[in-house]
Amino acid sequence: MLSKTSSSPVVSRRRFLGGTAVAAGSLSVLSKQASAQVTVPVQVNFGSPATTPWVWPLAFARHAVPLPAWEALDPPVIPADHQRYDEFAPVKFYDMSVTEILSRPHPELAESLVMAYQGSVPGVTFINHYGEPVLCRIRNDLPLELNGIGSPDIITHVHNGHHASESDGYPGYWFSPGSFRDHHWPMIYAGGDWREAKGTLWYHDHRMDYTAQNTYRGLAGFFLLFDHLDSGNENDPNHEAFRLPSGVPDGPRWRGCYDIPLIFTDRRYDANGVLVMDVMNMDGHLGDKYLVNGRVQPYFEVERRKYRFRLLDGGPSRFYNFWLSNGMTFHHIANDGNMLPHPIETDHVQLGVSERADIVVDFSQVPDGVNELYLVNREMQIQGAKPEGVLLSYADSNQLIKFIISPERNVVDHSRVPANFRPLPEMDTPVVRTRNIAFDRKNGMWTVNGRIFDNDRADVTFKQGTAEIWNISSSGGWAHPVHIHMEENRILSYNGKPVDSGILHCRKDVFTLYPGDEMKLYIRFRDWTGRYVMHCHNTIHEDHAMMVRIDVVP
Amino acid sequence: MNNRNQVVSSDPSVLVQFANRRSALRALMIPAGAAVLSGCSSVTRLAEEPAPAISDAEVGRMRRDASGVRTFKNYVLYDQDGRKLYFHDDLIRGQIFAAGFGYAKCQGICGRISGNLVEASGMLGGLMGNPVRFYTFSLAQDSPADMREAMEIRGILGKPGWKYLTGSPEAIRYVRCSFGFFDSGKEDTLGTPATHTGMIRFGHHSLDKWSSCPGLGTPTSIASSVGWLLPPDRRPEFARMNRNVPNSARAIPGWTPSKPLLAQV
Repeated sequence: MLSKTSSSPVVSRRRFLGGTAVAAGSLSVLSKQASAQVTVPVQVNFGSPATTPWVWPLAFARHAVPLPAWEALDPPVIPADHQRYDEFAPVKFYDMSVTEILSRPHPELAESLVMAYQGSVPGVTFINHYGEPVLCRIRNDLPLELNGIGSPDIITHVHNGHHASESDGYPGYWFSPGSFRDHHWPMIYAGGDWREAKGTLWYHDHRMDYTAQNTYRGLAGFFLLFDHLDSGNENDPNHEAFRLPSGVPDGPRWRGCYDIPLIFTDRRYDANGVLVMDVMNMDGHLGDKYLVNGRVQPYFEVERRKYRFRLLDGGPSRFYNFWLSNGMTFHHIANDGNMLPHPIETDHVQLGVSERADIVVDFSQVPDGVNELYLVNREMQIQGAKPEGVLLSYADSNQLIKFIISPERNVVDHSRVPANFRPLPEMDTPVVRTRNIAFDRKNGMWTVNGRIFDNDRADVTFKQGTAEIWNISSSGGWAHPVHIHMEENRILSYNGKPVDSGILHCRKDVFTLYPGDEMKLYIRFRDWTGRYVMHCHNTIHEDHAMMVRIDVVP
Repeated sequence: MNNRNQVVSSDPSVLVQFANRRSALRALMIPAGAAVLSGCSSVTRLAEEPAPAISDAEVGRMRRDASGVRTFKNYVLYDQDGRKLYFHDDLIRGQIFAAGFGYAKCQGICGRISGNLVEASGMLGGLMGNPVRFYTFSLAQDSPADMREAMEIRGILGKPGWKYLTGSPEAIRYVRCSFGFFDSGKEDTLGTPATHTGMIRFGHHSLDKWSSCPGLGTPTSIASSVGWLLPPDRRPEFARMNRNVPNSARAIPGWTPSKPLLAQV
């Protein structure tokens, strides 16, 4: 029975069956979450079904398994397709398939049809080492018919991998089911400089105009890099090595592992518990279910020792402000995949989409008798465009993971948090020019310096091996985590103030512009040539062409 | 009960819904410039728009049918020939379309967007025998005569599949918001003629595929966006995988398409 009131939309009562939260219900949930009085309009969608938290354990993707030494890729790789292939001849080969699978994020939700790297959501975890070049073949084995969310075309980007353009996942280089593409990951430091080493990267789909939909529908995973310093061995006999908590879980083998990747994604489900996305949304998509490694509000059993958590904001649009529920401090050791020069003791970490933070939490500091602790998000966000800038109380925060702490005190822990990691490289490449890059919006369309993105037009032509100063700015009421491919860069000033300390002083590949912000960046592109992009990593904005094409030329 | 919005009056000449009796009475006073169609029921300049009590986000709130496919309300609209159409049943259901917003007297972006759409439509041709529809929704309650004139100026009057559409402010607001063209906190900005959205909404309703790109982008990007709504093997050639790129993808030898795990809608 349809009902109609004079100035509100026609609402079907059928929608209310099944106990889903409706518009009014969603508002009341949100107002319960918000401690502040906020009157901005909220993005209203139907609410996901209620789910019981802490019923499933935290899950982990399996490690990506390279081909055995005696097996070669067939058809063979074409070395001429890859820059400097012979110089960095691969010693490790992967053959990965992208397929659709059924995946259930919680026992009270349904199985949803999603896309998966090597049958896994999140995708299988790559464990790679500097000095051991890799060749990864990615096959598109998706079906030709994939209705609803996403496109069956794919192109895989290792977020901030220092890779040649033809292996970087440029959005326009997507390919359809029935094809494969080879990616050469040479495992070299940018500029040959060990101080440019990276650690926590991730890989995800980057198909033009469908990145938000494809990543939402499953295509994201971790890509971890190790070298002689960040060696992944807390018992490393090399005393130069950091010996941080080590052991990355491999699927069901997680006990005795203390190097824990965590991807945070917020999602929404319909009355039947099936994954749903409002693909018409142009501001940013906010989910009401908080997933970690693909499961809604999992628990994780931990020992009373140090753990390295690699936090990744997997989007599509939400900002996070991570705290522990008892307010305890931890060490922030890496940002955006780069070790900081020194660890920073802090009680919180803020991330925008695609940003990462590595933290070391020492559960031995938790008092006896306390066996539960929660990782929570205290960033208030009720619209996809930006967070509110309000710190939620613990009572109103989003609870993400429940740590169940073993009472056992007699735990062996040889891991360390050294006082020094990697010094920052000098910004010693001479600057050859300054550019102003203004992100703006005209008639609802994202512009960069007044122009609409065009895949067939280079917006920036950058001479390889030089440096430039970029003044990036954003107007309007959105927060934009701006990501630049291929290299990390440095912030010289933020809203006119020099940046000479803190996280913003360190190497970054994501630069979050809050409304009205401007930043001055030191930019370099070394080692490779070809097409790259800079774009907002609110994946919804990205798909509506908030993007810049950068051609690195010899 | 069907899914169509109820009309207040059973009088067939009263074509739109009114917020209250006062606005209904005002609508009967036909202001200057309103068109009266020959052979059709009269269309008037519409009643004053009630002050928005709800946000654009709420107006455009996502709706899905029982099978999970996106669905829309059946607001009444009129095309350039005065033909009465229902938004969901006549314009969305089973269609492949590209839809923009504008108004007949626009001296700003509408002309360029129209030109881009015309060029894109030329690239698409008949598209596998199922012609793509091109819709422009009027943000200024244009009359059919104004809409016909605008189409004639832009060379699209009489072209099959092209429609200029007008309706009540409530109906047009719903169309715009259900297509996602609003900025939260800046209500109506993208629906106001002076600052109206230039984004194009693409839809393939039966495949539940939706995307959007700037109307001021290139005709190629617009035509490609339509092509990408289709499964890869049914797209026009220019919307297929580009083999002229570095390290181009290659065919998997002996590959056959996998069957979908679940029946597709």
